[in-house]
Parts: sequence; C-alpha cells; structure tokens
Amino acid sequence: MGNLMIKAENISKSFGTLEVLHDISFSLERGNVLSIIGPSGSGKSTLLRIITQLEKADGGSLEIKGEYLFKDGVYSKTEVQKRIGLFTGLVFQSFNLFPHFSVLRNITEAQRAVLKRSKEEAEEKAYALLKRMSLADKAKSYPCELSGGQMQRVSIARALALDPEILFFDEPTSALDPELTREILNVIRSLAEEKMTMVVVTHEMNFAKGISDHAIFMEGGYIVEEGDPISLFEHPQNRRTQEFVKSFE
Amino acid sequence: MQNLIMQMLEGTVTSLQVFFLTLLFSLPLGFVVAKGRMSRNFLLRGIVNLYIQIMRGTPLILQLIFVYFAPYYVVGVSYDRFTAVIVAFVLNYSAYFAEIYRSGLQSIEKGQYEASKVLGFSKTHTFFYIVLPQVIKRILPSLGNEVVTLVKDTALAQTIGVSELFRVAQNAASRMFSTMPIFVAGVFYFVMNYIVSKLFDFFEKKLSYYR
Repeated sequence: MGNLMIKAENISKSFGTLEVLHDISFSLERGNVLSIIGPSGSGKSTLLRIITQLEKADGGSLEIKGEYLFKDGVYSKTEVQKRIGLFTGLVFQSFNLFPHFSVLRNITEAQRAVLKRSKEEAEEKAYALLKRMSLADKAKSYPCELSGGQMQRVSIARALALDPEILFFDEPTSALDPELTREILNVIRSLAEEKMTMVVVTHEMNFAKGISDHAIFMEGGYIVEEGDPISLFEHPQNRRTQEFVKSFE
Repeated sequence: MQNLIMQMLEGTVTSLQVFFLTLLFSLPLGFVVAKGRMSRNFLLRGIVNLYIQIMRGTPLILQLIFVYFAPYYVVGVSYDRFTAVIVAFVLNYSAYFAEIYRSGLQSIEKGQYEASKVLGFSKTHTFFYIVLPQVIKRILPSLGNEVVTLVKDTALAQTIGVSELFRVAQNAASRMFSTMPIFVAGVFYFVMNYIVSKLFDFFEKKLSYYR
C-alpha cells in the first residue's frame, strides 16, 4: 500500500432522489494536504462526512490506509469501521465542543473512554496540545467562556489528542471573523509543515493555494477539475472553476 | 390542637409516600415512554402516543377511579387501595415526564452526537456522559413544575379512600365544625412545595456553570 492514505473510487451518494455525489474518485498520500473547494451544495461536505463515517455511501469503494471502509458499496464489519474511525479525525465548522465539560475534559474524555489512557497520560497530552494552541491558561475554562477562534483551537486539540493519521476540516473558519480565521489558518498551516495528512474543505482560496499539495473543485456532486493548487487556482481550465475562483478575487 | 397536628402529620406521611413512590417509578419510566414516543416503529410510536394522549386528556381523579375499579368489574378481583393510587399516579406522571424528556432530548444539537461519533464514543457513553447531563440542565425548570404539581395532586388519593393529608384535614374540619384544619393543611402543602422549589433552585444553580 505504500504511502497511500485514502483511495476513493466511484463514490456515489443520494438523499432520496437527489444525487449528491457522482462517481467521486481521488487519492491522498501520507503527509499531503488536499483541499476541496466548491459552491454550497456541491457535495464536498457530504464527501467528508462519508469518509469520517457520519454518512453512508451508496456505491463505490473507499480504502483508508489499505483497509476497505466499503467496497462496491458494501461496508466492512463494524470492527473494521471502528478501527478506520481511529485513523481519522474531524474538525467541524460549528466546533461542536461539549458545553458541559471544561476545555481540559473536552480533550481528555475520548482519550480516556476510547483509547483507555490513564487520567495522567490524557491530561499530559491535553496540556501539551493546549500549549501548542496557545491556550494553556484556558484548561479550566468552559467553552461558553471562549471566543470562536479559541473554541475552534480547542476542537482541533480535541481531534489531535487521539493521534489521528488523517485530519479532516469541514469549513473550519466559516463561522469566524477574518481575524479569528487567520488564527485557525495558522494552526492548520503549522500542522501542514509537520506533514500531517489533511483534507480541508474551505472557501479560503489563498490559504488553500498556499498549503495544499492537491486541490479539487467540486460542483453538483461532480469533481469538475483537479490538479496542483497553482494551476487550479491560477489557470483553471474549466469554465465553472474559472467563474468560481474569480468570484473570490 | 396538638392532637390535630399529630393526625395531620400522619396524613402527611401517607402523602409523602405517594409522592416519593410516584417519583421513584415514574422518573425512570418516563424515559422508557419517551423512547417509545420517539421510536421509528410506527406501531409502537402510535400506541405510546395514544397512552400519553389519554393520560393527559382525562382527569387524574377519573384515572384513579378507573385503575382501582376496572379490575373488579372486568375480572372480579379487588386489590389494595394504596397500590392502586401508586399505579394510577405512576401511569399519569410517566406520561408527563416522558413529554418533558422528549423536549429535552430533541433540543440537543445534532453536532453533539456527530462529535461523539467521530471521537469514537459508544452509544451508551454518548447518552450518559454527553447527552443526558445537557438534557437534565435544560428540563430542570419544567421538571420542577411537574414535581410541585405532584405534591398537590397527592390530595386526590382520597378519591379511592386513601387517607392522606387533605382527607385528614377534611375529616377534622367536619368534626370541629371549622375550616381551620383545611387552612392548616394548606400551610403543610406550601411548606412541602417550598422545600421542593428550593431544591430545584439549588440544582439549577449547580448546573449554571456553563452556557
């Protein structure tokens, strides 16, 4: 399998009669960053939700680290699904922190409940991550006491605490103002520098261009165009990609 | 007078028994009912819905009479009056609690479940550690309302001959040709509900550390 982290082949998905994904195929290698751009309703979030197992695909195959999550539309056994789930982490647009837990417990809960780490080990990990997110002083705070940017950094720490091998971001800055957006983008950029394998759904074109190794433009459930980010963003071939990229200038 | 107070305290013990036994059974049972009410199985959902409609749509006093007398008329057996009171109260209050639980459960954002799923929590862990604590915080005010009502509803137990606080007071009133005992009973109910309200205030404050 080498360094192939994700191999998606002909993934399809419908909600009722509405086809939201048609024959989506792509692959991602270890240490690479893939960005997915496209207008609302293009299916990019659904694709992310299928890979992170929040939705089920109807057809196609998906291999993560050489194991099939589903093959020709048939899902693997629950244990396999769970094991693959441990490889993947997801950062949501709306953070989805647990409001009744302190920042610290938001980050330790899954380490303890899922990975069965000891309290000390989990907290040590959490403090290290908080320090890295410049939030060391917020460990005892509650999510309601944080700014949007701080909440999103906590949710990134929460995902990283489980040592995922691939980290997914679903429009991580769409709920934030420009200043807080920069805060989050810097964190993602530093993860990219450390060669974290990531898939980022975003509207931040310049950012995507700067950090990704590969970019995909989706519309209406199709991959309309893909390639290296410079050519995709600066010299798009497809007329729709051209219009979309232009609308952000 | 001292004698009267003693009698009323005895009646209060019966009222409190009804109160606590009703809570003991209906608080957990309400969750089961709420789950049935939200079931994807339309038959189960329909039956549970009908049950809730009947419990909410008819007087508790009528339900008491039905629960106590129906077995006698249908199969010819009669049973303990106190048991009948508990059965009727539990059936009635489970329905109300179920609707309160349902409102709480449905108010939890989808994102909380999604984050739990992505982090790998089991369904049980998600329910007991993520969902339930947030539900309790949200439903506490409506729950308090219902529990206060229960304190007053215990007075209905006398309908099928269980001598609780209010019946004792009425008996004393007719013996003494005075409404005074009735008002004393009022003070008793008020004190009990004052304690209940304070207790709920305390829990609400305890849970106000977030959002």
